[in-house]
Amino acid sequence: MKLPAISATLLLMGLMSGPLVRAQRGSQLRFSLASDPKTFNPLLVDDDASEAIRYLTGGVLVRLNRETQQLEPDLATSWRVSRAGNSITFTLRRNLRFSDGTPFTAQDVAYTIQRLMDPVLHSPTGDSFRSGPGNVTARIIGKNQITIVFPRPIVGLAKLFDQVGILSAHSPHKEMAVLGPYYVAEYKPGSYLLLERNPNYWKRDGAGNQLPYIESIRISIEENRDIEMLRLMRGEIDFINSLDPDLYDRLARQAPKMAYDAGVSLDSEQMWFNEVPAAPIPAYKKAWFTSTRFRRAVSESINRADLVRVVFRGHAQPAVSWISPANKFWFDAGLHPHPFDRKDALRLLAEDGFHLQNGVLRDRGGHAVEFSVITNGGNMERVHMAAMIQQDLAGIGIRLNVVTLDFPSLIDRITRSFNYEACLLGLVNDGLDPNAQMNVWLSSADNHQWDPDEKTPATAWEAQIDRLMRAQAATLDVKKRKQEVDEVQQIVWREEPFIYLVYKDALAGVSTRLRNVHPVALRPQVYWNIDQLWIAGGRAEGRGWN
Amino acid sequence: MGSVVGKPRRRLVRKLSGHVARILVVLLAGGFLGATLVRLAPGYGTNPEELDSRLSAASIQALRQARGANEGLASFYAHYLERLVRGGLGESQTLNEPVRQLLAERFPETLQSVGLGLALGWMAGLALAMAAVMSRTGIAGVAAGLLASILLCVPAAVLALLFVIVQAPGRLVIGLIVFPNIFHYARNLLARAAAMPHVLTARAKGLGNARVLLRHILPVAAPQLLALAGVSVSMAFAAAIPVEVLCDLPGIGQLAWKAAMGRDLPLLVNLTMIVTLITLVANTVADLVAQPRQAGEA
Repeated sequence: MKLPAISATLLLMGLMSGPLVRAQRGSQLRFSLASDPKTFNPLLVDDDASEAIRYLTGGVLVRLNRETQQLEPDLATSWRVSRAGNSITFTLRRNLRFSDGTPFTAQDVAYTIQRLMDPVLHSPTGDSFRSGPGNVTARIIGKNQITIVFPRPIVGLAKLFDQVGILSAHSPHKEMAVLGPYYVAEYKPGSYLLLERNPNYWKRDGAGNQLPYIESIRISIEENRDIEMLRLMRGEIDFINSLDPDLYDRLARQAPKMAYDAGVSLDSEQMWFNEVPAAPIPAYKKAWFTSTRFRRAVSESINRADLVRVVFRGHAQPAVSWISPANKFWFDAGLHPHPFDRKDALRLLAEDGFHLQNGVLRDRGGHAVEFSVITNGGNMERVHMAAMIQQDLAGIGIRLNVVTLDFPSLIDRITRSFNYEACLLGLVNDGLDPNAQMNVWLSSADNHQWDPDEKTPATAWEAQIDRLMRAQAATLDVKKRKQEVDEVQQIVWREEPFIYLVYKDALAGVSTRLRNVHPVALRPQVYWNIDQLWIAGGRAEGRGWN
Repeated sequence: MGSVVGKPRRRLVRKLSGHVARILVVLLAGGFLGATLVRLAPGYGTNPEELDSRLSAASIQALRQARGANEGLASFYAHYLERLVRGGLGESQTLNEPVRQLLAERFPETLQSVGLGLALGWMAGLALAMAAVMSRTGIAGVAAGLLASILLCVPAAVLALLFVIVQAPGRLVIGLIVFPNIFHYARNLLARAAAMPHVLTARAKGLGNARVLLRHILPVAAPQLLALAGVSVSMAFAAAIPVEVLCDLPGIGQLAWKAAMGRDLPLLVNLTMIVTLITLVANTVADLVAQPRQAGEA
């Protein structure tokens, strides 16, 4: 009786896997990146385009499931973090090969760690592992087991390995030999990349078919979002990973089945005032910007609900903290956005000696309150937000001038010349662990944007944040860490060195031909399960553009 | 006898050397000016990756040094010339590829676009200008003039976007940019030549339109038309930037745009010098071809 049941199951599995296997033949996924990848070295990745290539080609020891936000085995079948939190032991999958056929062993992991932690390389990923002075050692226990020892404990150690693409110690192709689902077959700078299916990729589906299903990926370099959208509608590309709200709405109207809103993302939009003591701005303005009451008043005068409704067409949420609600564990759910309350804003300002005179807000010295906010001109959402904030602040007698700059000029002002008064910018967040933002919150850090590189904390609350951030980085007790990170979120909510405005939704446009798509809020939203995606009916090579 | 033949040759060599020297001086000055503008542009030496919260202070410093933020203009230019003498063009800061390789990959694409655009623009412009001048009714002139005026008013980027939407070949846009300029200049030159007494005499003697045009109008207008050829080359290269960017043509116009956006000094300086060189050579060739004709006609 059992035999027919087994035969039926096998037949069913065969029928189910049939279309997928057929879908592999000649199938090509096409999408665009806004810029060229700056590197193919997975250890030097620091931009979106390189990150995309690393995700598609790099093999990692453990992979963060973007949907469940849990770690899953990848090249390592298991891992164990020591009780002290300063070492991790990986057991590696056996008999794996890089894309060029070079065998994968523990030596490759040791080599990768050695390169990653080389201070001369200046790897951004490597910097995440630097917990203190001292050397990192990799001890090969056997052909398939390795222990990596760090000089000091590292919080969230295992998750950091999601970003470490393993290099081959012996391949003549160096970083171009990969363990991920695809390898880079062709690259024409400024034009396109062609990724081919890695014939040695280790993963198989439930029916035993080797993954990935899609044979190749053609990535064009396309800066213009409107043209990218046009190409999606024409079927020349298969998805857009991150859509602007107006393009999303247009897509939702014209082809509702292609539009995906994966909910609130990790990215936030915020505004801050220049509090650098040496900044070339008048002293009376510095006094405004360093006043918590002033910042709170500005914050309460901004109608975040309107920003969400008008600028983001409902595809965003009013922001409250430096951690987004998409970060399920670390977000402090007890916090609520500052209410839009002009009356209370004027009360706070009055406490600081500001007063309204013929509709113009003036400080104690009689100076009319007027300042400029810089933002990058290429981002229309930010320009629209700035325009709306301009109107909101006019409601309490503040004159706001909006200055749009190109990105290099803006970086120059906020990191070198400090010749600005306020800045409106977004923070792209890839990591879930708050420790990834140490260089923003420590007062001595370069990315402590409102006043970088403070010799000593300028205020008591910054000293408190320093203490809490260092404390959470030094303990492996997750509950204690959560309390400390929550406390930092509360201080930031109260003091508002960053005035958080909105969390954007992760919006995507996906062709109906692309199957098994489940866009998520975390990057890479659409193709996080790239090896499981397939194209219905396949597609002949050479069709389309380029 | 030898001295009689040698004199014009010596004069030609002297003239050519003068042109080459002028090209070299303008080229160096253009390159230096381009480098100066880029080096002094706000945001030079910055890198968006500096804002990555994972980076340590040492890594941020290393990033800044890698982008040459601390290198002075004179030092950059001295290094550049030194490399140039040895045949190297440096490496692109944004694309991380040797500039020589980038140019070799992309130049054929632009040459094709510009070549096609120039051929189209000249053929259409000249044909319609001749029709406008020779037509007795004037309808052809009015219609062609209207078309040229409309095209002159539409920016290259708008035309390119229109071609993307209707899925037409982007290369044709360069032709449409060149065409109205050629048409207007050619029509004016031909009309002026057509009004000359010897043309009126030829017409009075009953010569046919084609013969009047080929024997009596075109030869008079030819030197100025040749001078226009040089200008049209730089016009086509300038149009190639928005066209290649919007129509996704991987040529040097697209490369120039990316280099400008990324403050890619090595790439920009090389591109500036190449476009300057092409423009100067085109103008010089037009000049050299036109002058003997003018001298002969005089």
